[in-house]
Amino acid sequence: MSKQVVFYPGALEERDGILVQMGHKCRDCGKTSYPPVELCPFCSSENVEKVPLSTTGTVFSYSITRVPVGPFKPPIIGGYIDLPEGTRVFGQIHAKPEKMKTGMKVKVQTGVLWTEKDGTEVIGYHYVPCEAGSGGA
Amino acid sequence: MRDVYVLGIGQTIFGKHDSLTVNDLGAAAALAAVKDAGISPKELKVAYCGTMFSPPTPVQSILFHLGADRIPMYTVENACASGSSAVHLLFQEVALGVRDVGIALGVESLSAFNRKFGKGLLAIEGDLQGKLALTMPSFFAKLCNRLMEKRGATIEDICYPSVKNHKAGMTNPYSQYKTEVTVESIMASPMIADPITVLQCCPQSDGAAAVILCSEEYYKQHNKKAHRPPVRIGGSVISVSGAEDASYDPLAMQVVIKGAKDACEMAGVDPRKDIDVVELHDAFSGEELAAYEMLGLCEPGEGVAFARSRAVELGGRCPVNPSGGLLSMGHPLGASGVRVVNDIARQLWGEAGENQVEGARVGLAQMLGGVLTGIESPVVAGIHILMK
Repeated sequence: MSKQVVFYPGALEERDGILVQMGHKCRDCGKTSYPPVELCPFCSSENVEKVPLSTTGTVFSYSITRVPVGPFKPPIIGGYIDLPEGTRVFGQIHAKPEKMKTGMKVKVQTGVLWTEKDGTEVIGYHYVPCEAGSGGA
Repeated sequence: MRDVYVLGIGQTIFGKHDSLTVNDLGAAAALAAVKDAGISPKELKVAYCGTMFSPPTPVQSILFHLGADRIPMYTVENACASGSSAVHLLFQEVALGVRDVGIALGVESLSAFNRKFGKGLLAIEGDLQGKLALTMPSFFAKLCNRLMEKRGATIEDICYPSVKNHKAGMTNPYSQYKTEVTVESIMASPMIADPITVLQCCPQSDGAAAVILCSEEYYKQHNKKAHRPPVRIGGSVISVSGAEDASYDPLAMQVVIKGAKDACEMAGVDPRKDIDVVELHDAFSGEELAAYEMLGLCEPGEGVAFARSRAVELGGRCPVNPSGGLLSMGHPLGASGVRVVNDIARQLWGEAGENQVEGARVGLAQMLGGVLTGIESPVVAGIHILMK
């Protein structure tokens, strides 16, 4: 099995055998931040706890890049996803460009973002549309 | 606080200067500024330099070319607002009475950057969003999409600043481009991130700009250009984002709205009535369209109507980027924050030639750096108000 690394330290953690996005929920101001940092970036409180982020959200805004960026081939759909807890997360959206709409429901998935020259698989997250009837949202 | 005056300005032509180092570029701008000010470089008491990708200690190496030495010198970095930050720090030293005269430089060689790192869209290294392919064009494409969804902007509206600014660049001797564009030619150029095409993006550029600021007393003793009306910096603000900003609308960036409001209050001016000319960070055509309302030039939500009224063209209520802006002037990152201050000074002195805004008395120079994302790649706005 090839070596795997998470694309950004702390962005994903393994819980019960699956990778999940972990944020910090502040017990003082109630806000959830992502990715986790030392103190609550809103109120500087130390009183934070690690919580899994919601796995579904709505697209606040998106754009479609038509040129390659790093290891990614176009079209690259990038979007700001608003989660129910009030956190806005940036991620790529794997969808047909013509199907994209502001306000659409999406759900998170994890998987290989790219493979390094030495075969190392870089693991990250992306979003996919919640299909009608799939129960995702 | 003491009043702070603009004694002299200088810059290189912006463009491709592949054979020149940042030290060559910076020295050309600094020399032009001291000559414009009519003082010896030995007069300078402090120096600041804004840059993003230069080798270490560029300001010392640059001023060595002029024999200016043994004074405090600092290089500052604040993304595209690096030059604004250099001007702001110099402003503070003079205003607070620490020094009577000093120089603020901005310099960048994107040719050198490309030789080192290769060409391509600038994604922020090591940044979570950057690793997921968030680039400047993809961020501003979201802003354009918001303009179309929330403000009723059309493709023509989105392209308008690029058409206007390329036209202005035709008559600016310092401009990288001397080419007019149309909505048709803009939309026929390669698509980067819908709806942003190549001709809606500022170019990569090499160049430098420098400004000499001084106290009122120093100005009275040393200003040799009696024909120039005294121009002072009435407001100088560096505005930085917070964690909440990641959840704001790109059409209402708090860092710009608050920065402009604070600078206008500091200068005692009303942006809707008093500001006669603006130079701003139009890295992307749609960005300028979104900025009119954030700077307070018109009511919130009225930016598209303000543009359609042609208020932002020469002859209009408040011409924006009469220099040609980043879109036509070019954008040597660290230099642009100084360059916009210089262009406003030029306007208030009445020395902007064919690009002159008649009767300009108050001007605003803005630069915006960073990307509006999460906590790792925050935004900084540098805002200066110049007045005579």
